[in-house]
Order: sequence, then structure tokens, then C-alpha cells
Amino acid sequence: MTQSPLLECSFFIPLCRDANLSDGMLQSIEAWDWLDHEMFFNFDGGTIAPGEYEGFYRDPDTHERVFDKSRKFLVAVQASRLHELRALLAAACVIFGQKCIYLCVAGQVEFVAYELP
Amino acid sequence: MSSPEEYIDLKGKVLSLARLDPDEQGLVRGFMARAEGHPDWNEYRNFWMSTVWDFYSARGLTRRATQQTLPYLIGQDLCSRIGISAGYVRQSDYRDELEQLIRTRFSNRREFCEATGLAEDMLSHVLARRKHLAVDTLAEALARVGYTLHIVPMPRSVSHT
Repeated sequence: MTQSPLLECSFFIPLCRDANLSDGMLQSIEAWDWLDHEMFFNFDGGTIAPGEYEGFYRDPDTHERVFDKSRKFLVAVQASRLHELRALLAAACVIFGQKCIYLCVAGQVEFVAYELP
Repeated sequence: MSSPEEYIDLKGKVLSLARLDPDEQGLVRGFMARAEGHPDWNEYRNFWMSTVWDFYSARGLTRRATQQTLPYLIGQDLCSRIGISAGYVRQSDYRDELEQLIRTRFSNRREFCEATGLAEDMLSHVLARRKHLAVDTLAEALARVGYTLHIVPMPRSVSHT
């Protein structure tokens, strides 16, 4: 059986919860443990890039510019399993108190949001 | 206090190291030694996770089984301490544990509220950190779903004791 090609994926998880959607506080131990757990089980852990990533975006609801700091995760994912990574990040939106999460798949950027079932 | 035969995690849970074999004990000692050098949080996470994966995959353990091992739990706990010490992670409180309980044992907040007798509005305020639950209310609600409260020593940030 031919294995589908591996795609380099990266995503950013902010160090703080969204202040508009949630309380703007630092993420909890439980949230990071959950992500480690899921990453380890589903994607062999992946790698976290050194340092923290500062950036800003315009909040679609408040239209204000929001600055944040994030951890950057890198993971190689088979094309056939990309939906699993997107599902994980959709769940991460809830657990990390985010409206959406920046995901880059082989250079193409998308924003993964949680959708009510 | 921890002795060489035990590890006390951030939640105050005592993990006995006595049942680990010598190689596993060496693995844990390696995790502790590295953590005591105050490494970068992300660097340490990559280190402990790849090390524990290499160690147990060589023994034929599945990833799910590896996640149940003490070295996995200790590596993760040490990593949390480093994150807290560096100011990247918040020390959790009962509200984080409530969120985790809801996420892992119930399909949604409504189901949790139905089982515990808590009002959904109140739970929403509590989880958003706008209100607190009275201790007796929380204890009674948790008892209805088979959980209880504990008082545990406050953890030190990086040290494993």
C-alpha cells in the first residue's frame, strides 16, 4: 500500500486565552497536558519550535487589534490524515479559549474554528 | 516531601517509583536532572516526549500504553513546572479541574449540570472566573458524580518535591 505524502504542518497556540471570548488568562496546565496527550497519541508528539511567537490580528467581533504570544508546533502529517489535525485544532479552540487557530499546511494558511455539531 | 522512591506531582498525588525497573528509574532520574538545569520550556517538552517515546517504543509499548507509564506522567509534570516557573503557564485551580472533569467524563456542560444539580448559568460564571462556588455546594455537586475535594500541599514550581 502506498503511503500518502507527508505534509509539513505548523500551528500556533496562544499562551493566553482570548480576552473577548474567554478571560485572557494564561493557559492552564490541563490545557497544555491535553494537547501534549493528543499530539503524542495521534502524531508522535510533533515538535515545538524554540521561543515564543509574537503577533497581532484584528478581532473579527470587536474589530480591535489584538496582540498575542504563541507557541509554534510543527508536525508532519499524511495528507489522508489532515482532517484529524483539523479536528484536533477545532477541539483546541474550545480548550484554549480561542475563536480560531492559525494552521499552515505546506505553505497554505487556514484558520480552524470550532463548529457546533 | 518526596523521597528517592516517590514523586509528588503538581496535584499532590504521590507516585511510587519503587515499582519501576532500573532502566525506567534511570529514565526518570534523567528527566529530573535535566529539569533541574532550568531548561527552556519548549526544549524540555521536545526532550521528554521524544525520550519517553523512544524508550517505550523500543519495548514494544503502544502510545496509549506509554501514556499510562510513570515516566510519561513525570516528564509531563516536570514540563508543567518549568512552564509555571517561566511564567508561561498558570497554576491550575479547582475551576480548571472542573473543566477537565466535564471534558473527560461528560458530553457537555448541560449533562454535567444535570448530573450534579448545578445551574448551568452558575457553572458558566464559575468557569469564566466571574464567580466562585461555595465549598459545600461544590463538594455536594461532586459527590453526586463520584468525586471529592482534597487539600494538598502547594507545589514548588520546578523541583519535583
